[in-house]
Amino acid sequence: MIELRELTKRYGGRVAVDGLSVRVQPGVVTGFLGPNGSGKSTTMRMILGLDAPDQGEALIGGVRYQDLGWPLKTVGALLDAGAFHPGRSARAHLSALAASNDIPGSRVEQVLRVVGLSDAATRRAGTYSLGMRQRLGVAVALLGDPGVLLLDEPVNGLDPEGIRWIRDLLRGLAAEGRTVFVSSHLIAEMALTADRLVVIGRGRLLAETTVAELAAGGDSLEDAFFRLTSEATDYRGVGAS
Amino acid sequence: MNRYGFRQAARMERIKLGSVRSTWWLAIAAVVSMAAAGAGVGLGYRSHTPVATAAQILNNSLGGAIVAQLLLGALGVLMVTGEYGSGMIRSTFAAVPRRRTVLAAKVAVCGGAALTVGLVASFAGYLGGQLAIRGTAIPAAALTDPAILRAVVLTGVYLGATALIGVGIGAIVRHSGAAIGTLFGLMFVPMIVAGLFGESGIQVGRFVPLLMLLNSIAVTSPVPGLFAGWGSALLMCGYAAAAVLCGGVLLRHRDA
Ligand SMILES: Nc1ncnc2c1ncn2[C@@H]1O[C@H](COP(=O)(O)OP(=O)(O)O)[C@@H](O)[C@H]1O
Ligand SMILES: [Mg+2]
Repeated sequence: MIELRELTKRYGGRVAVDGLSVRVQPGVVTGFLGPNGSGKSTTMRMILGLDAPDQGEALIGGVRYQDLGWPLKTVGALLDAGAFHPGRSARAHLSALAASNDIPGSRVEQVLRVVGLSDAATRRAGTYSLGMRQRLGVAVALLGDPGVLLLDEPVNGLDPEGIRWIRDLLRGLAAEGRTVFVSSHLIAEMALTADRLVVIGRGRLLAETTVAELAAGGDSLEDAFFRLTSEATDYRGVGAS
Repeated sequence: MNRYGFRQAARMERIKLGSVRSTWWLAIAAVVSMAAAGAGVGLGYRSHTPVATAAQILNNSLGGAIVAQLLLGALGVLMVTGEYGSGMIRSTFAAVPRRRTVLAAKVAVCGGAALTVGLVASFAGYLGGQLAIRGTAIPAAALTDPAILRAVVLTGVYLGATALIGVGIGAIVRHSGAAIGTLFGLMFVPMIVAGLFGESGIQVGRFVPLLMLLNSIAVTSPVPGLFAGWGSALLMCGYAAAAVLCGGVLLRHRDA
């Protein structure tokens, strides 16, 4: 389980995440939904101890990320595509991370197979297409067979087949009892993938709901999403209602 | 064991260092540049009158260290800034959240690799010089001579320390271009400044890396006024420790 308590982050006076308190439960896919710039990536980075919160804290199974004994075996994360050195092969990238958490080399081959990168494993990751990069990111997340998965916009850059693959993968992982927290700015995608939804705008919690509840409002999911976030969107094209 | 530690982090860093091409290019270039400088010096002195001394040949044939220090310094810098530039640093800190464990592992792995390459390069410079003067009247410099061996070994140590200064500056500056620029500046600017002091420049100059290299470390007998070779090498290690400690303090508090 992931627990955010009054999580707050400012960048030079601007609030990126504003007193966010959420519990993310195991066994279901929880969608983390919000317009661009609403603070999803910042929240993910704070959960991983990469950015320090100004106030509040993020706990994983009651423990701060920094205090985990084997972080990769506890939490698997896909950050914005490209958290790797472009000159290093996928296999070397995974092997290095595996070594840091005493994960056996056989597991590296296993996750390469799961994400379908076995044949490209010796190629420099910088030569990968966006979809392959996302797959490498997913391989990193799965590396330690963790009980908690955090994925920041995993379907960005994927083709329809890749999107369906991610969806099935995440639902399968949740069905095994894992905690799956996945961000997106696309309500239509989240409606298909997630069971529960955490909706934020301008860093604030707007709603903790389920896809079913949101759909029950009468209007379309998209309209419901716009209704929720309309007060809290930074950038909007002229003409959008 | 119920948590990761230095050993795991060091294994990660070893794999990372060995799996990017720049590491190998920089290491090869460091060795080649020193070997070439050594051979060039030897060839230049072959027909020189009066006949060169063993010390002259040795001192000059280690001169390639001026280039090698920049290459190995860049190696150290890139070990940190290469991760910030690509976003890899987030994967690294997600795997090993205790950042000073990561830095310690980088120091150990980079220091070990750069010391090894530095010693090989230094020996290559010595060997290049010696091979190039074979068959002439110039006396050979034997490694069994303590003064010769000391110069060759300390030059390797100097190169290893330079790489660690690079790691420290990389952790402080975090941007490849800026960090390499800073490192090069720190290598050359103090030497120019020391020159401005004229006669008393030696009081300042003995603390300046490049002057220590050329007049105290990579020579059979140090220029009067400078520290002994091992003293200069120790001072370089001190600079490296200071740079790494600064980097470690900053690393802890900054967002990745
Ligand atoms: N490192 C940073 N420095 C300054 N501002 C940042 C930084 N990271 C994010 N922000 C700002 O914080 C806000 C939230 O960004 P982000 O978490 O990336 O949103 P999202 O992932 O939901 O699109 C944005 O206004 C963004 O410009
Ligand atoms: Mg984002």
